[in-house]
Amino acid sequence: MISSKDTVKEAMLKAKAKKVYIEGNFVKLLSETSDTDVKDYIEECKSRDLKSRKKRLQITKQVQKQNKELEEAAVVKEALVLELQNSLEESKLLRDEALEDLEVMQKRTQFELISTIVKVALCVIIGVGVLTTVMYAWAMTSGTDTQIIGSTWSNMFGILLTNAFSIVGTIMGVKYATDKD
Amino acid sequence: MMINSILLIDDEDLFHLVFEDACSILDITLSLEALDSSDEADKKFKEWFPDDPNGEKPECVFVDLNIIGSSFDGIEMIHKINFEYGNGCVIGIISSSDDNQEIEKAKKAGAQFWIIKSDDIEPRLEEFKVDYEGYKDKTNPFKIYR
Repeated sequence: MISSKDTVKEAMLKAKAKKVYIEGNFVKLLSETSDTDVKDYIEECKSRDLKSRKKRLQITKQVQKQNKELEEAAVVKEALVLELQNSLEESKLLRDEALEDLEVMQKRTQFELISTIVKVALCVIIGVGVLTTVMYAWAMTSGTDTQIIGSTWSNMFGILLTNAFSIVGTIMGVKYATDKD
Repeated sequence: MMINSILLIDDEDLFHLVFEDACSILDITLSLEALDSSDEADKKFKEWFPDDPNGEKPECVFVDLNIIGSSFDGIEMIHKINFEYGNGCVIGIISSSDDNQEIEKAKKAGAQFWIIKSDDIEPRLEEFKVDYEGYKDKTNPFKIYR
């Protein structure tokens, strides 16, 4: 082991024997010497230090470069996440709009169906009313028995009027609902 | 000629290693201290002002432009060193930025040089080493090392 009593030369030779080499700027503080052993040792230290510095510098630069790339990738990733979030929100909005449109369409279809039913019902009512009236009128003018057709006509007319009002009510309701949408 | 002592103020720890190794390989200095915030540097300069009793004040100071986590940036640091702590050292910016407006600001704050950081910093430091004497005796004009 190197003792504090050893001279610099002794210390260096002991280190050399153990193949331990001085690193760092301390090597640069060692002055030139004519002693071949010490000179060789110092040269070896300097060359090893330079080699390891160069290696470390190269590795550090590589790590620095990778860090930079990672940072850039993180920025890109963040931008992508933001874009995805925006797209998600946009798609949610579009979905809501589509659902709303679908609901409106369904309602419209229902209302159209109802209005068709109402129209057909009205046609049937008017048709039956007209037919019964024509039959009653024909019975009266031809002198045949009008007892049955008369009561049928009045019953029919009562029913038709009631149904007509009910249909008018339905039409008004449908119209009100459609206007609101 | 070697610079007696250098102070590097930069928030990037990895760059401390790069700078230290590059300075050692190019025989720029034997004594390098690296700090990662301008607040720390400010504290040190306050200690060294006005007469630096222990002779610890660095001969040359390299300051990063944007020092993350610090109260003020590199240009403000240079301004403080030059106008509050009596200067007395060669001082400049070392940054990856080459923004002309910032360079002008640095010049006004009293920066003597601007070294642009890149993967290949050694040639710039070598060139700086050659020019150093001129900065020390204030004969060299402001220079950008690209």
